[in-house]
Amino acid sequence: MSFRQPDRPDLPADRAASDRLLDSARHGRAGDDGRPADPLADLLAAAAAPARPGELAGEEAALAAFRAARAAPATPPARAPRRRRRIGAVAWIGAVAATATAGVAVAAVGLDRADEPAPAPAPSTASADPGASGPTTAGPTAPGPAGAPSAPGGGTATPGSAGPSTSAGAAPPQTPGVTPGAGRSGAAANLPGLCRAYLAKPAAQRAKALTTPGFAPLVAAAGDAAEVDAFCRRLVPDPAATPAARPTHTGRPASKATPTAGTDTAAED
Amino acid sequence: MTSELNEAVVAAQAGDEDAFRFLYRTLQPGLLRYLTALVGADAEDVASETWLQISRDLPTFTGGEFRAWTVTIARNRAMDHLRRQRRRPLLPVPVQALADLAGDADTAERAGETLGTEAALALIATLPPREAEAVLLRAVIGLDAESAGRVLGRRAGAVRTAAHRGLRRLATLLQRQDPTSEAAPSATPPRPRPGRPTPGAPYVEQADG
Repeated sequence: MSFRQPDRPDLPADRAASDRLLDSARHGRAGDDGRPADPLADLLAAAAAPARPGELAGEEAALAAFRAARAAPATPPARAPRRRRRIGAVAWIGAVAATATAGVAVAAVGLDRADEPAPAPAPSTASADPGASGPTTAGPTAPGPAGAPSAPGGGTATPGSAGPSTSAGAAPPQTPGVTPGAGRSGAAANLPGLCRAYLAKPAAQRAKALTTPGFAPLVAAAGDAAEVDAFCRRLVPDPAATPAARPTHTGRPASKATPTAGTDTAAED
Repeated sequence: MTSELNEAVVAAQAGDEDAFRFLYRTLQPGLLRYLTALVGADAEDVASETWLQISRDLPTFTGGEFRAWTVTIARNRAMDHLRRQRRRPLLPVPVQALADLAGDADTAERAGETLGTEAALALIATLPPREAEAVLLRAVIGLDAESAGRVLGRRAGAVRTAAHRGLRRLATLLQRQDPTSEAAPSATPPRPRPGRPTPGAPYVEQADG
């Protein structure tokens, strides 16, 4: 074929000729009988050929992103995302660690609670919940493939954090009868509770307390026994200092978040 | 075709998943091919980022050429990606990757006797960046010169000129390849070999400059 042609046969003569070639590229190959009229047109048609199967591999991921964007329209990035995300991650790690040692932790916290006049539970739960529930609604989909693992985490953390607030809110803190409730919602519940118990101890006893199995989830969540102190102060505001501050901005979200968390738990059970 | 696309856009904005699926299937191949020319083997990752942003920003699309809107997002994502990559000490070799792909595609397409999609894209990617982008936006994405110009931040005339130059270059390349494939197909496969230095500098470096 090429021998028939002089040395510069196929060059488009001008921009208009090129335009025509470019415009027709997406209308398929020139010769469907397998005899392409013009190599250049054939090349463009090949470049613009219909989708090959591998090219659409990301379809479900894209749809997931679409659903997520519909579920959580554009507001989350606007609000201080940094701290929430960190707390969410902490809650998630805590949930995983605590789930592993659930029975022990629950028992231990139950005992600890019996000793200590547990301060009201709201603050940490409240701050963790928005973080957790954000990912949960957007959950299955929002951050696409990368975010998927965090969704179950948020789910686990939410029922968990609901634990202390229901137990402490509904029942007098000193009764051991709290334990069943906390046990049902899992030990993930008790990371804030553990922190409060830990912080309520005299400083001299804290290090020793961390060696007991009951506080193991806390140590695991903090990463290291030496970090627990700072970890807990981040997670739970100083119980002595906060009676006034607590109800104002943290109390309400907690009570609002709790019912949904409760149904989650029920659904899981 | 275009009206069909616009209807799908409106439906997708109203939450219709099937419409969004249609948009994806219609636009993704072109975006992926264009991105392959820009970022090489990372095109699929960048395409995912692109669709993430399309999903998120779809409500803010207020009309106009939807293809141009999506390809602008894709291009921005690609430029971000290249910037990130340049900060890392990685050595991207997109043209190389394309040449490898072209090799595979070529053997696969041999039976069909026509140029494979991968090979065609690989050839286009060897053009100078401006010409390659102009050709891809016009022929593969399907934009007119005006829309392509808006995507690239250049005048329509400049895009037409670049595309025209690119086509002439491609025709010459094809001509150079053609005799080999006709005369001795088994002796010299007419495809860019992985080991052969590609004429012109690697695409990525020029794309930034």
